[in-house]
Amino acid sequence: MKEEFLYVDKEGYSKLVNHLENRNSELNAFNFIDKTEKEGKIISVKDNICVQGIPATASSKVLSGYVPNFNATVVDRLQKNGFAVVGKTNMDEFGFGSFGINSDKIAHNPFDQRYVAGGSSSGSAIATAIIKNHISIAESTGGSISTPASFCGVVGLTPTYGAISRYGLIDYANSLDKIGVMGRNSESLKYVMNIVSGQDEKDTTSVSNTLEEVRKDKLYVIDNFTKNINQTVLDRFEELLSRFSSDGYKIEHVKIDNLDYSLPAYYILSMAEASTNLAKYQGFKYGHKLKQFSMGYNEFFTEARKDFGMEAKRRIILGTFIRGKSFKQKYYEKALSIRAEIIKRMKSFLKEGFIISPTAPILTPKIDEVKDITPVEEYSMDMLTIPPNLCGFPHISFPYNYEKGLPLGAQLITDHFNDYALLDFVSHWEEGFKYRFAEEIS
Amino acid sequence: MKIGLEVHVALPTKTKLFCNDLAYENQDIPNSNVCPVCLGLPGSKPVLNKKALEISANIANSLNCKIPAKTSFVRKVYFYPDLPKGYQITQLDGAIGKEGYISIKNKKVGIRRVQIEEDPAKILREKDYSLIDFNRSGVPLNEIVTEPDIENLEELKELIKELRSILYYNGVDINQEIKSDLNISLAENRVEIKNVTGIKNLISAAEYEIQRQSQLIKDGKDVIMETRTYKEDTEETVSSREKETEEEYGFIFESDLTFYETSNIKLNKVVIPSKIAHELAEKNGYSEETIRELVMFNKRNLYLLSNTPKEDFSKAVALIEKFYSFGIMDYSDNQFEMMLKYDVSSMDKGTFMSRIEGKEPIKEADKKEIEEYLILTIKQDSTLQGREDEKAIGFLIGKLKQKYHMDSKEAKEIIEKTIKTQKVN
Repeated sequence: MKEEFLYVDKEGYSKLVNHLENRNSELNAFNFIDKTEKEGKIISVKDNICVQGIPATASSKVLSGYVPNFNATVVDRLQKNGFAVVGKTNMDEFGFGSFGINSDKIAHNPFDQRYVAGGSSSGSAIATAIIKNHISIAESTGGSISTPASFCGVVGLTPTYGAISRYGLIDYANSLDKIGVMGRNSESLKYVMNIVSGQDEKDTTSVSNTLEEVRKDKLYVIDNFTKNINQTVLDRFEELLSRFSSDGYKIEHVKIDNLDYSLPAYYILSMAEASTNLAKYQGFKYGHKLKQFSMGYNEFFTEARKDFGMEAKRRIILGTFIRGKSFKQKYYEKALSIRAEIIKRMKSFLKEGFIISPTAPILTPKIDEVKDITPVEEYSMDMLTIPPNLCGFPHISFPYNYEKGLPLGAQLITDHFNDYALLDFVSHWEEGFKYRFAEEIS
Repeated sequence: MKIGLEVHVALPTKTKLFCNDLAYENQDIPNSNVCPVCLGLPGSKPVLNKKALEISANIANSLNCKIPAKTSFVRKVYFYPDLPKGYQITQLDGAIGKEGYISIKNKKVGIRRVQIEEDPAKILREKDYSLIDFNRSGVPLNEIVTEPDIENLEELKELIKELRSILYYNGVDINQEIKSDLNISLAENRVEIKNVTGIKNLISAAEYEIQRQSQLIKDGKDVIMETRTYKEDTEETVSSREKETEEEYGFIFESDLTFYETSNIKLNKVVIPSKIAHELAEKNGYSEETIRELVMFNKRNLYLLSNTPKEDFSKAVALIEKFYSFGIMDYSDNQFEMMLKYDVSSMDKGTFMSRIEGKEPIKEADKKEIEEYLILTIKQDSTLQGREDEKAIGFLIGKLKQKYHMDSKEAKEIIEKTIKTQKVN
């Protein structure tokens, strides 16, 4: 199958918007659907990525009313190539969440509305699952592409850190944030990656390296990576491995020491950075504006910043604590060393083969089941997606099975800049496996 | 007594530190030189101005600092309305310069750090509200932090002069209002005076504070560790009444930027004008003080004097002073060299100007012709005969100026001489 996108003319666009608005009232895939008539190849964009003239809220009340006057570099490049942005997709506030429930409007799984869509790029995954031949521009800091892609049954690529410009991305954690792509097959992802990747003078951390496609026939299963996984998930995954084995891949079980530390290291670094990124929201320049001008500025800022959601507040407080003089060495600097060490250890395997695992350690949970779990329980759900995210390794989540009507995703990791090898791998998978999509809105 | 300084100077770049807005030109309309980056809009990212990095490395080098192989930035987080991102991008461990010094007369004053940072916006305080002008947001600064090695007011003045001179030679606009923080401790406790604007205020704040602390000590009272501000109108420092807690900025690596290699930065030859003044004084046996005055804040003078041979040196100094006294600033190297031929000490402006324009003094041979012309003129005009008054001489000066393009002084001399000779004859 060649890359295909949903192309609409102006008339078709209005029809599409109507359909989407209907579905959106139940699924909450979009924070904003653009009614301005346009034509082109339809894409959606996560709501933390700026599109000129369209609101960008990152699902936060503090940003309500913010309409960027500039395009993110990815959006610029896509628009120049005939893509049209239909809307901004729902997400956990600022990317803080694994289920898509840390938003004013909880995102629902398109296969069964009682279930979560996964987060934080929940809306991008839903949109991809319900719109014909859809592509969505998403973003991952610790697993925000893989997890929702897995729960919604679509392909989600998180590229090497720096492969896609972050210019126009509303920051969560700058050293970890990666813009990526969700789609319905590897070919269309490759088409879009060719457009959006590549160095950008507006983002210093974007890199000029060419993305490669070095095939590997070895699949590493990290045993200490896959412990604490739900038994059904593990059983299905074992079946997948036997299939790959019979397809000629060499499966090797290995252990990577101290991989357990990647979770705390990730949360320490991401919260420390997030707490500085959220300092700019002060309630008087853009977004939600406070009108109580009689207050002193300290009081004013305190009042304005009450508008953050619970998880955002938690991360500001923890992040600020972590950055404190007396704790910095204890946490932040240690986390940096752990990251460096884990990169080294994972890299030694990734030079030889891919690392494969389920994407999520659990079956898709119901919204009611996760509404009241503790933050630490929620953080631990990211255990499989965090190591590659912490280390900036490219990884992809692809659907490989359906359990009680809900999709299951597997995650493949490769070495820095070998992003296209992931798409190549998945394209081979797609030759023998037919994805089921929730809907075909056009 | 221990005094330490933190000085902030704006760097001579065309554009701002992290975006392409103009840093200094066209600033009349508030908020006209702004963009998503310097407004701190969500989604924007900083990109380092390499020119600012180059200038900073050169300043650090002039201040004898160690320049690390790689330099990097941090976020300094605090809340103030003039700080659009809620943090300032600045430097700490990865600073462009560390462990340097400035030499003043009898000692070296340590430089702890030279760091690159962005200027916040400007707050315009009105009667019951404030306005913010983001034109200044993101202007490139260097913060230069000294060790508390300064031990008296004289050293402080000397250090400031020396530092400004070095900065001037690095292209920094020396007329800008330099903002400083000042630490002064006469006793155990350190007093910090924050945000002093301008050099005059800095000196007078230090003067007042030294006086205040000595008086407290004399009276047997404690000097409290505190932050104070300088009041320009009353010329005194007053307590800021801030809670004395240790500042907590939660510094963190700025990961929107990267590590910048310093090995490829072009470092210019270091020019320490006071040192050169000293050398010139030794070499030419001339007053060091005079040379310092001429070269500390004038690159041209330093260049001219450095290239003057010993035998012409005092003439060159006199010539520069003459140029000053006549307010002539735009003379060429050739003109300077040409003027060295003359004894300019008693030259009036007119003669001086005609020499600059290349007019030679009247030659003896020509004088004879002029004298003859004068005699003839007087002979032919009966109203001029026997007169030595101003009006008659003025008339003759006019004639000579017209015919021989002489300047007034020269013409007058030759007229008076001719009349005198005629009388004797």
